[in-house]
Amino acid sequence: MKKLIEFRNIVKSFDNQVILKGINLDIYENEFVTLLGPSGCGKTTLLRILGGFLDADSGEVIFDGKDIQQVPAYKREINTVFQKYALFPHLNVYDNIAFGLKIKKQSNDVIEQKVNRMLSLIGLEGYGERNINQLSGGQQQRVAIARALVNEPYVLLLDEPLSALDKALRKEMQYELKRIQQEVGITFIFVTHDQEEALTMSDKIVVMKEGNIMQIGTPTEIYNEPANEYVAKFIGESNIFDGVMKDDYLVSFDDKDYKCVDFGFRRNEPVDVMIRPEDLEIVARGRGMIPGEVKSVLFKGVHNEVMVQTVSGASKTVTMHVIGNHDFSNEQQGEKISANDFFMDLEDVEKLSDVEVIARANAQAWDEDDELLSLHTVEYDIQQKPGTYEVTFSTSKGTSITIKAYVIEPKYTEDEKQGVGVAAFDFFITPEELSESVALDTDLCIWAKAEAWDLQTSVPIEIYDVIYDFDEENIELGDYKITYAVQGHQFKVHTTKNVTEGKKVDITFDPEDIHVMSKMGY
Amino acid sequence: MCWPYIGWLLAFVVAPMILILLYAFTKQGNSVLMLNFTLENFAKFFSDSIFPAVLWRSLKIAFMTTVVCLLLGYPAAYFIAKMDEKKQAFFILLITLPMWINMLIRTYAWKGILSFTDMSSQIKVMIGMVYNFLPFMILQIHASLSKLDKNLIVAANDLGANNVQTFLRVVLPLSIPGIISGITLVFLPAVSSFFIPKLLGGGEYVLIGNLIENYFISVGDWNYGSAISLIMAMVIIISMYFTKKADKKVGGEE
Repeated sequence: MKKLIEFRNIVKSFDNQVILKGINLDIYENEFVTLLGPSGCGKTTLLRILGGFLDADSGEVIFDGKDIQQVPAYKREINTVFQKYALFPHLNVYDNIAFGLKIKKQSNDVIEQKVNRMLSLIGLEGYGERNINQLSGGQQQRVAIARALVNEPYVLLLDEPLSALDKALRKEMQYELKRIQQEVGITFIFVTHDQEEALTMSDKIVVMKEGNIMQIGTPTEIYNEPANEYVAKFIGESNIFDGVMKDDYLVSFDDKDYKCVDFGFRRNEPVDVMIRPEDLEIVARGRGMIPGEVKSVLFKGVHNEVMVQTVSGASKTVTMHVIGNHDFSNEQQGEKISANDFFMDLEDVEKLSDVEVIARANAQAWDEDDELLSLHTVEYDIQQKPGTYEVTFSTSKGTSITIKAYVIEPKYTEDEKQGVGVAAFDFFITPEELSESVALDTDLCIWAKAEAWDLQTSVPIEIYDVIYDFDEENIELGDYKITYAVQGHQFKVHTTKNVTEGKKVDITFDPEDIHVMSKMGY
Repeated sequence: MCWPYIGWLLAFVVAPMILILLYAFTKQGNSVLMLNFTLENFAKFFSDSIFPAVLWRSLKIAFMTTVVCLLLGYPAAYFIAKMDEKKQAFFILLITLPMWINMLIRTYAWKGILSFTDMSSQIKVMIGMVYNFLPFMILQIHASLSKLDKNLIVAANDLGANNVQTFLRVVLPLSIPGIISGITLVFLPAVSSFFIPKLLGGGEYVLIGNLIENYFISVGDWNYGSAISLIMAMVIIISMYFTKKADKKVGGEE
C-alpha cells in the first residue's frame, strides 16, 4: 500500500492552549483510519488541518508527496462529512449531491449519471427531488456522504458523523459506512469518541489523549495489547493493578508471582498489569489462583458482570453503644429535648463549634406539636486534653438536657501497604434513632464520623463497606461492633455462570490473559 | 382572550378602510342619511394625463430608491454579519442610531445640505429616500445573513467552491428572504412618502403621496383623495404579489 498522507510534527494551539503537541502519523491508501479519543483530545483539530479549515502552527502535512499547507480547502482533493451534515437547505437532494460537480462545471448528463449512481450507493433511489428537511436523520447522513463521495476524493474525512443518530441507526450506519468504503476503495479518516464504533469499522485506530498519540494499531492490537493504562481503560473494560516485573515472563502483583507472556522490561520495573474481564473465570474455592468473595452480580444480558474482592480493604472497627431513650420532657412548657453522649478526637477540640457539638450529640428539641425547635443555648467547657466533659443544650423556654462528651486520643488505622488511613469513633445511639434511619450505612458513617484518606496525598477515599450484624428494627440495648472498610482489590469478571453475592470463590486465568504495560510517564 | 385585538383591528384597521372605500365611491357632500355612489373619482384620475404620470413617477423613484438601497445595503449587511458578535452589535447600533432622531428633522438637515448643490429635484428626493430607508434594508438582510449556518460555507469550500462561487451558490440564495423583506420595507414607504419630495423637491417635484395630501388638506376633496389612495393601494398589492413570486422562483431554483 502506498503512503498517502503524512503528518509531520504537527503543533497547534488556541488561546495559549496547546491542542496538538507534535503529531506524527502516516495514513495509507484505501485505509479506514479512526482517530479515537475523548472530546478535547485534538482529533477534530487534526482533521480540520487536513481538510484545510485550520492552519497548523508548525509541522508539515504531506499529501501524495507534496506539502499541502498552502493549498486552500477548495483545491484539496479531500472531502468532508460534517458532524451536523451541513446540507444546503435551499437545494433538494439531487442538487446537494451535484453541488461539487456543478462547481467543477461537468456536463449535465455526466452529473446526472454520477448523482444517480450515488443515490443507489446510499440506497436513496428516487429521492432526488425531495427537500432536505423531508429526510430523516439517517437519510440526511447518507446524502452528506454521497455529496462528498460524488467528487471522487482521494480521502473522505468524517467528523463524528454518527453522533446525532440513535443507537440502532448508528449500528446500521456503521455497516453501511464500512460497505461504502470497501466499495469505493478510498481512504476514510473517521473521528469518533465511541470506542465501539472504532473497533467495528477501522483498519487502523489512532488513540489520542490531550494532543498526543497514545497508540496506533489495528483494533485487535489496541484491544489485546494496549500500550498503557489510558488506552486499556478507554477501549473496553479492564482490571488494572500495580505490579512489578520480576523477570521476563514473570510478573508480581498483590504479593504473588504469576507467569505471563510479556518480556523486555527492566528487572523489578513497576508496571501496570491488565486482565480483561472476559478472560477471567470464576471457579469453586480451592480450584483457582486467587481467592475472593463475590461482592456484586449485575445481569448484562449476554453475561453477568461479577465483582470479586480478592484483597479486603483497610478497615477500622468501633463500638456502637445502644442506650435507652433519655429524652427530657418539660411537661410545663410542652417541650421535649434529646441528645446523646458522644466521643470525639482530641485534635478536633480546637475547631469545635456549637453547630458541630449539636451534630455530634444529635441534639434535637420538639414542641407540643412535635415540630422541631431550634436550640437556644449550647453550654460546654471542653478542654484540649482527654477526659469527660458535660454539655448542656437548652431551648429558649428553658427546657434543657445535659450529656457527656468523651475526648479521647486520636485512634485510626493506617494500612501502609494499601496506603490508606481509616478513622472512626465509638458512638452512642438510641434504638429509635436507629430505626428512623432511612439510609443506615450512610448514617452509621456520620454517627461514627468514619473517614478514609490516602496516606500520601490526604485525598479522601470513599468508605466502601460498613459491616455489622444487627437488625436495626429489633435491636436490644448493648454494645455492637461496626467495621468501616475501604474498597480492596476487586476483579471485574464477565461470565455466563450464575453466581450469588457473598459466595466465597476463586478466580483463575491463563498466563496469556495477563497483559503487562509500562507505567505512563516512564 | 383575543377580543381586545379584534376590537383594536375593527376600530383602527377595518373601520378606516371602510371609510376610505365609502369616500372613494361616493360624491362630495354626502350626508349621513343619503349616499350618492359614483365612479367619477376614478374616471377623473385616469382621464387626466397628469395623475397617471405622477403615479408612474412615484413608482419609478421608489423602484430606483429600492435598487440603490439594495446595492448599498447588501454589502454593508454582509460585512457586518462576518464580524464577531460584539462588533456586529456595535455596527447595528451605529446603523440604527440616526433613527432615534425624527425623520422630519433629518430630512430638513438634508434640505440644508442639498441647497448648496444644483442637483435635479429627482436626485435630491432620491438621496433623501435612500438615506431614510437604507437602515431597513441593512437590518433585514443582516438578520438573514447572521442566521446562516457557517458550516454551510465551510461545506461549500470543502466541495471545491471558491469564495465567489460559495457566495453565489450558497450565501446569496439563502439570504433572499432577507432581501425580499428589505425590498418591501423600503419600497412601500418610498412609494407613498410625501414629505421627502415636498421638502427636498422644493414644491416642483410632486409624487402620489403629495397628491393625496393635497386633496385631503388643501383642496378638501376627501372623496377624490380616497380614490387616489385606493388606486395606489392596488398598485402596491400587485407589485408585492410579483415580488413574492420572484422570491419563490429564485428560492426554489438551484
